[in-house]
Amino acid sequence: MASLLEITELQTDIRLRTSVVHAVDGISLDISNGETLGIVGESGCGKTMTALSIMNLLPTGGHIVGGSIKLEGKTISNLPDDEMRRIRGNEIGMIFQDPLTSLNPTMTVGKQIAEAVILHREVTKEQAYDRAAEVLDLVGMPKAKERMGEYPHQFSGGMRQRVMIAMALACEPKLLIADEPTTALDVTIQKQILELIDGLRERLGMAVILVTHDLGVIAGRADRVAVMYAGRIAEITDTRTLFVNSRHPYTEALFQALPEKSAETREKLYSIPGLPPDLTNPPPGCRFAPRCRYANDKCRSEEPNLLGETPQHLYRCFYPVGDEERADKSRFAVEQPAPLAADPNVLAAGPQGNGEYLLRVEHLVKDFPVTKGAVLQRRVGSVSAVADVTFYVTAGQTFGVVGESGCGKTTIGRLVVGLEQPTAGSIMFQGRDLSKSHGSEYRRDRRKIQLMFQDSYASLDPRMRAGTILREPLVAQGIGNRQQREARVQEMLDHVGLPRTAVDRYPHEFSGGQRQRLGFARALMLSPQLIVADEPVSALDVSIQAQVLNLMRELQRDLGLTYLFISHDLAVVRYLSSQIGVMYLGKLVEVGPADEVYLRPAHPYTRGLIDSAPVADPSAEKAKEKSGVRGELPSAINPPSGCRFRTRCPLAQEICAEVEPPLVPFSVNGHHAACHFPLEPPIGDAASAAAAAPVQPAAPPEPSWQGPA
Amino acid sequence: MVTGYLIRRILQAIVVTFFVTLITLALIHLVPGGPVAALLGQKANGPELAYYNRIYGFNRPFIIQYFKWVWAMMHGNFGYSIKNNISVAAEVGLYLPKTLVLVGLGLVVSLIFGIPLGVYQAVKRYTVGDYALTGVSFLGYATPTFFIGFLLIEWFSLDLHIFPSEAPQGSTVGQILSQPRALVLPVFCYAFVAYALWSRYMRSSVMDNLVQDYVRTARAKGASERRVLWGHVFRNSLITIVTLLGLSIPVLVAGAIFVEVVFNYPGMGLEFFNAATSVDLATLMGFTVITTFATIAGNLLADVAYAVLDPRVRYS
Amino acid sequence: MTGMMPETQAAVAPTAAPDGGVSVVEAMELGLQPSVKPRGMLRRGWEVFAENKLALVSLGVIVFIILFCFIGPLIYKTNQVSTNLSQILCHPSAAHLLGCDPLGYDELGRIMVGGQTSLEVGCAAAFVSVVIGMVYGAISGYIGGPVDSFLMRVVDAGLSIPSIMVLIVLSVIFHPNRLTMIFIIAAFYWLGVARLVRGETLTLRTREYVQAVKVLGGTGWRAVLRHILPNAIGTIIVQGTFAVADSILILAGLGFLGFGVQFPSTDWGSILSNGLQYLQSSQNYWWLIYPAGLIIIVTCIAFNFVGDALRDAFETRLQRR
Repeated sequence: MASLLEITELQTDIRLRTSVVHAVDGISLDISNGETLGIVGESGCGKTMTALSIMNLLPTGGHIVGGSIKLEGKTISNLPDDEMRRIRGNEIGMIFQDPLTSLNPTMTVGKQIAEAVILHREVTKEQAYDRAAEVLDLVGMPKAKERMGEYPHQFSGGMRQRVMIAMALACEPKLLIADEPTTALDVTIQKQILELIDGLRERLGMAVILVTHDLGVIAGRADRVAVMYAGRIAEITDTRTLFVNSRHPYTEALFQALPEKSAETREKLYSIPGLPPDLTNPPPGCRFAPRCRYANDKCRSEEPNLLGETPQHLYRCFYPVGDEERADKSRFAVEQPAPLAADPNVLAAGPQGNGEYLLRVEHLVKDFPVTKGAVLQRRVGSVSAVADVTFYVTAGQTFGVVGESGCGKTTIGRLVVGLEQPTAGSIMFQGRDLSKSHGSEYRRDRRKIQLMFQDSYASLDPRMRAGTILREPLVAQGIGNRQQREARVQEMLDHVGLPRTAVDRYPHEFSGGQRQRLGFARALMLSPQLIVADEPVSALDVSIQAQVLNLMRELQRDLGLTYLFISHDLAVVRYLSSQIGVMYLGKLVEVGPADEVYLRPAHPYTRGLIDSAPVADPSAEKAKEKSGVRGELPSAINPPSGCRFRTRCPLAQEICAEVEPPLVPFSVNGHHAACHFPLEPPIGDAASAAAAAPVQPAAPPEPSWQGPA
Repeated sequence: MVTGYLIRRILQAIVVTFFVTLITLALIHLVPGGPVAALLGQKANGPELAYYNRIYGFNRPFIIQYFKWVWAMMHGNFGYSIKNNISVAAEVGLYLPKTLVLVGLGLVVSLIFGIPLGVYQAVKRYTVGDYALTGVSFLGYATPTFFIGFLLIEWFSLDLHIFPSEAPQGSTVGQILSQPRALVLPVFCYAFVAYALWSRYMRSSVMDNLVQDYVRTARAKGASERRVLWGHVFRNSLITIVTLLGLSIPVLVAGAIFVEVVFNYPGMGLEFFNAATSVDLATLMGFTVITTFATIAGNLLADVAYAVLDPRVRYS
Repeated sequence: MTGMMPETQAAVAPTAAPDGGVSVVEAMELGLQPSVKPRGMLRRGWEVFAENKLALVSLGVIVFIILFCFIGPLIYKTNQVSTNLSQILCHPSAAHLLGCDPLGYDELGRIMVGGQTSLEVGCAAAFVSVVIGMVYGAISGYIGGPVDSFLMRVVDAGLSIPSIMVLIVLSVIFHPNRLTMIFIIAAFYWLGVARLVRGETLTLRTREYVQAVKVLGGTGWRAVLRHILPNAIGTIIVQGTFAVADSILILAGLGFLGFGVQFPSTDWGSILSNGLQYLQSSQNYWWLIYPAGLIIIVTCIAFNFVGDALRDAFETRLQRR
């Protein structure tokens, strides 16, 4: 197998003002023609810097300080810039994470693509534009020719990424480097883009380097995978071997931290303690040792080499997973994952106590006005963000809301915590309508429902110390005196697992996971009953995500909390929730017990969502290759008539455009979906009623799930 | 839509004009003893004040005065200078073209130097060249305009005898332009002050753009640094500059007044200064209002240019 | 907390280092990012500021000039009350280090006295405009909607009026002294500050930590006073620094035109423009021109450098490095 690209002992430093970060520290890789190599790792592990080193596009202060990069046997890591330019965009193409900022906002997409052609081919302007239209068509842009004259902001996120791909492929490079190409996109679009890259790879016979943090993305798309940790390769092998027989404890830990692995058992997730090392001054010995549950003194003082039984599977560990020698190291691994929910009722019970629902959201509607006109800003329509949504949240349980961006899930969260006022419908909390309370009564009511934000950095005032941040809820509500507040702060820090000394620190002095703990602690200060958690873990790396998810479950049990958990990530929602609501374009299309919705979805959208979400299992990924949701989310200003999903639904017929399907029951456990052509038979049907065996203890008396038809 | 944007901008400008006229008229009434006292000087006695108040209509309700004043301005009547025995509108007609020559030439010169050197500074940031040019623009900022003017006269006129110390004299634009040597120092002085602005703006604008993701994309395509700079970054940086150009008009007006006074350049600024020394309130108010209208129009023009240049405004 | 999360418990075990700080390794064990000790906003800001040598020098220059103007006259005693006809335009000498001006005042002493006016007016005008602009801008930005539109059109209107012209008109109308000059300059300068603070407030208002206040049941005042203004204060202080330099220049310009503070008071601009009358004379009266001109330039550049460095210092992005 001839190598297309060969990286040998690559070292890349980034010089900061006072220190040097050894971002890439001795990486060796090779990629053959037509192959997809995945590089996976958490943020800061050096994967992006490796990709940028290949292109020699390092940020200011970045330099390759050692090793070599060879393209088809020719060293390119030391080429002068004018020679390197002939390779960039010509022999190696690259696409970036955020397609909006990565495109020039004031240049038509046609011109931007044609530029790539003009730079590398002896062509006229017309020929370049013709070629641009051709590649734009190739990447699946509808009406490619007409859209050549448009500007990036006129495209959707998925279409922008297609433009990026067209630009990178205009000169048919031999190698495409895709740096987190789908991280900014929704899962349904992510699947389309990944399929596109895969298809083009086969068609054009190019090699692909896929850089990502997502093990699921790697599982379905890569032939071989390099797992990076702290600037080095921890393990490298073919995809299947990695997923069934990983040898490095870091890889093993990453898999165990994935919520989908414990989705059915609801076991506590394994979370890697601590943080990756500071790369300005990496620790001696194995770089993973400080966080490794098997590490001993040897690991801490001596660095293992990248070795393995076969050259096809290399790993950097003295005591690889599955090794005989490691058996007696198991005493270090005292905390085997144990089922968290000793009492099954905690997870699967109906309403606690008197059978009351803590939160009843009924016929909730939220429209945002769209104004137009120069003078009077007359209202020309509205964005239907939430359209007649009804659901009930049982005390002590977690209700998960899942859907793509723009489906209205965040708006629901903001409505429940009172950051927005509903256009219609009611939000009853403990039997009282919160939208109707005012003044001091309103402020008292606010205590019981608190919000956990997605971006913990943005939600904590950078100018305040942690102690002040935690005290603020009590001060704002006028609760307690100085000592009492102080005691409460200490108590909450203990609860969320932060050291008491943290009170003197500023938000930026915490890591992402710790900041999320801090945000959680603030939400808990007022002893709320309901916590609305809006994407609380989506900005975190897998290992840190596991820490936060574990904490949320633990405190739910200890403090009897109820969660309204909002996320785009189905695996996370399923892991944490007892009930799931699936939203699409402002509508609740399916709702029910988590496992039932996940394992036997009735709505085609739910099915599509499940199939689109990448799973860290190569065989599962291969199996659902041809599924997913086609097309893009329509505008919420003029949503489709009838069923809002019909424009993307493979089963849609005429009736779907005419009649809006009502939510109908699919099991006695409260599993409902709104579809004319459901994937499972509803329980009006006698034969299927028997099939829908209850998976949960007796459900509470059923309130009407019926949305108005 | 771009037309909607423009209509909204124009309407905003009209509202601003309303406030401006209101503020200006209120200012006249701030004078201790009222506007007539300012007109006649502090020595005027009671009966005199009352008489002129009646003549000028200053004894009427504020709102009536306001509408009469605005109505007059809409008919091109900006008041009458008793001291110069000429209508303010005619004065403007006399002096404005000459001021436009100075400002126009000065702007062109400053932009010709300021924009490329600003780009140069951004590309070569934190080098000796950048620091040197930064020093030059800081001098442009921190030195009073009149001092720059006098230094130019001292060096290039009194010491080296290269250029005359006084600006061209004459009543028409043609006469002014026929003495190019005399124009050099005032234009250079004006351009220097404006240059300091543009080069700073341009430097920071280009630097902001150079770290954007789209620049990395262009490099990943194989574009040369030159192409990245002039094909991508330059255009986007200019868009910012256009907006700042509109916002800088008051600074440019101030520059014109000082340059004209220092070099005795026969333009509106010098005339305004003369009116101030002789307390010619009609000329002062008239010139101020007209310059204000010009500023509002300039801002509007900058907004239009912005809309034309930036597709994000054009198609949204 | 029960023993369900051993790894976090291990992570929170207090291992305080003897010096009160934590080493890198210990910090990692604590799960905290390496940091010597919690540093306040001001301290971190100062560290960034102090790295900028030019700014440190500038700060020193400003301190020196302030001492020069206010303490200087106590050491270098001169007669700045009555004219001295025998000393008119005398050359620099041991008795008069920078000679004398056309009225026989000692020039160096004159610059000290004029500097008091320039600095007082500059700082006071900057302070007044920053305070007014801050309150106005924060209110406008936080309330938003039609109120914001109205308030901002007023600011637009003010900014459209060429300030120098109105300053001249106002100086003609009012008898210019220090107090009126402060308010005349501030009357225009606050507009720019208001627009800036309003823009900052609009950005901050959408920040999640400001929204969090509402969820916690806090009032709008709390959001503005505890979160928005403290986070906008950097911009405001930077703007205040530039405002001092600008006000000194405006005062100098008005002094040149003859509409600044009136004799016997004086400021740097008036001293300079008086000296410039002697530019074209056959004798070289350099001491009437260059010292005053230089001190204006040096002061203004120093304030600009300090402002630039402060902008960096308040930039949290740089602080985090």
